[in-house]
Amino acid sequence: MSSVRVNPYILPDLLLDLNNTQQQADTASLQMATGNRINKPSDDPAGAAEMVFNRAQSSEADTFLRSATSVSGLLQTTDSTLSSVVTALQRAISLGVEGANGTLSDTDRADVANELTGIQQQLLSLANTDYQGEFIFSGTATVQPFVSDNTSPSGVAYNGNDGTNSVQVGENYSLQINVPGAQLFTSSSGNMFQSIADLISALQTNINVGQAVDEVSRAYNYITGQRVSYGNALNQLQSQQNYLSSEKVDLATEANSISATDMAAAATTFSQSQIALNAELDAISRISQVSLFDYLK
Amino acid sequence: MSSLLSTMYLATGAMAADQGALEVTGNNVANVNTPGYSREVPDLAETAPVVVGNLTYGTGVSLEKVQSIHDPILQLRIQQETGEQGQLNAFVTAMNQAQTLFNSGANDLGSQISNLFSSISQLSTDPSNLSLRQGVLTAASNLATTFNNTASNLDTQRSNLDLNVVQSVQQVNTLTQRIAGLNGQISALENVGRDASQFVDQQDNLISQLSALIDVSETKSDSGITLTTSNGTALVTGTQSYALSTQADSSGVQHVLDAQGKDITSQINSGALAGMIQARDQTIPGLLSQLDTLAAGLSNAMNTANASGFDLNGNSGGNIFSPPPGGVTGAAANMAVAITDPALIAASSDHGTGSNGNLANFAAIQNQTIMAGETPTNYYANIVFNIGNDVSNSTAELQSSQLVLQQLQDQRGSISGVSLDDEAANMTQYQRAYDAAAQVVVAVNQMLETVINMSTVAVSS
Repeated sequence: MSSVRVNPYILPDLLLDLNNTQQQADTASLQMATGNRINKPSDDPAGAAEMVFNRAQSSEADTFLRSATSVSGLLQTTDSTLSSVVTALQRAISLGVEGANGTLSDTDRADVANELTGIQQQLLSLANTDYQGEFIFSGTATVQPFVSDNTSPSGVAYNGNDGTNSVQVGENYSLQINVPGAQLFTSSSGNMFQSIADLISALQTNINVGQAVDEVSRAYNYITGQRVSYGNALNQLQSQQNYLSSEKVDLATEANSISATDMAAAATTFSQSQIALNAELDAISRISQVSLFDYLK
Repeated sequence: MSSLLSTMYLATGAMAADQGALEVTGNNVANVNTPGYSREVPDLAETAPVVVGNLTYGTGVSLEKVQSIHDPILQLRIQQETGEQGQLNAFVTAMNQAQTLFNSGANDLGSQISNLFSSISQLSTDPSNLSLRQGVLTAASNLATTFNNTASNLDTQRSNLDLNVVQSVQQVNTLTQRIAGLNGQISALENVGRDASQFVDQQDNLISQLSALIDVSETKSDSGITLTTSNGTALVTGTQSYALSTQADSSGVQHVLDAQGKDITSQINSGALAGMIQARDQTIPGLLSQLDTLAAGLSNAMNTANASGFDLNGNSGGNIFSPPPGGVTGAAANMAVAITDPALIAASSDHGTGSNGNLANFAAIQNQTIMAGETPTNYYANIVFNIGNDVSNSTAELQSSQLVLQQLQDQRGSISGVSLDDEAANMTQYQRAYDAAAQVVVAVNQMLETVINMSTVAVSS
């Protein structure tokens, strides 16, 4: 025979094709069902590795957001506490100015001094404010920071420490979340408790009342200055939260482009492989039926 | 001129030859679905002529031999490709199971590592909070459990491969025994000049099956086929087969030994055994050692971070994870959280129980290049990439090997395959020839009758 003999066994070839087409259809339908193009590392090794990073980064962004939320609660509580402190000090100053007026009787001054004692108690209570059970002005100690102490000239003793905590709310961004009570309320640049105690005793003795009012004003200015940094921190936190939220969106978009199924492409592949499957099955059903033997009757 | 009777013998001889040829066709048709069968063709030849006077007469046809059509070189290529395919198939099957452990998901190792650092970050917002501290211990324990499970799953896969190796070696021995047996039958027939093609087909088929399991190198001699592995381990010489055996070492890993007891495990380089051994002795142990490096690196870094701070009781921090007992080796399988009291997490940097200063040291681990110059996430991503790449490359090789093998089988089919169309044509051809030869017998018979009647007429007249 001169021509090349044809392989009479067509079935194995067709079955291999059938198997490959079936596999293609299975892959496409899995991709459509899960919505993921990468269902195991070998589907796209580099993409699978990128997804490890993406998931780690988006978990980190989630964590920073959660931290930012709880820190912002703490900072807001601190800010509103300091706002009350500032209001109380304003009232103390106007009471002091009233008491400095030479026309006031001893009784009147004693009344003013009494009202100031009330403010003193209020300030003590504000300095011992807690957020979710933790004192916010005790430094890094977990004890009540200020207690009344008659032996101390300022009338209070500080039991906290001067430690500070920072919380990470971004890849390279940590935010200081507390200022120790000693720095805020009993600093040498403006000792709030001392100034109130001095004003009370000045009113009681009617000596140097004006000077004592000046001292309270200094404490007031100092705390107002300190409060600004809290306001700034809150603003920064807000913009960081916005940044993190948009980073999460970016990461989700990236994850989508790395591993999400291209539905249109997968559906096309699927229907193409269905057509191919039908054609192959049809071919198989035909070939095994005929040979020359059928014609030799 | 020859006699009428010799013409009769010529015709009956032709009938016998045609019947023989038809028998060959019948045998081809019968074996159309026999694996490894090579089609046979009748070798018809003119018989020696006789010379009478100045005339030379043909004396008819004889069936000289039945020839089996096959290509030994092609057979060899098929065996090699079968070995290649067997190896890739075994490797891909084993590693496909292994890679599912590294599928991306809510509970994969990467997520558990993230969860641990996330819990530490949460603790930093309220460092004396016991439930947040407990959260860190829970995340640490989940991470340890995931390491344990991943390592033990990989170990189970190695044990399964051990079972497969033992079974495959048993199959190798059964096959070599049968091949040696066929060597005996083939040489017995061939030594007396007979055709042994059916046994040769069977043997070829068995050698292909053997190639799917182990690398086979084939040489032919008078005593039949000699089979060795490519490294020279004898499998079959003549009628003698050499059984391989398996032996477990101290850690339970099954080694393959030759008939002399020499360890040939690492020398098998084709067939399913090679694929299993590659997965069992190289790829999976490689993965395990990467997991160990990651587990040991994380455990040690967490312990170092904890030691640099103070716990809720004001003491320096102790170990969070039990130090890996064997250094790095076995770190993943044995990873365990060393403490149950959440107060023992050393969050504080200044003895203040509300301090979170030391937690920054924990968080920093994420960006430290503590494993072979890589951060934990980087290192884990590399593990995922490597296994994915291994499986995807071998799968692609397997697919192309399947195509090559299919092409070789097609080629073999076009040379040795039985075509029912051919056989149907041959059948009619031989049948017609047989009919014609029978007609010749009838004609000669009538002529003889004429001759006999001639003498009767002469006597009676």
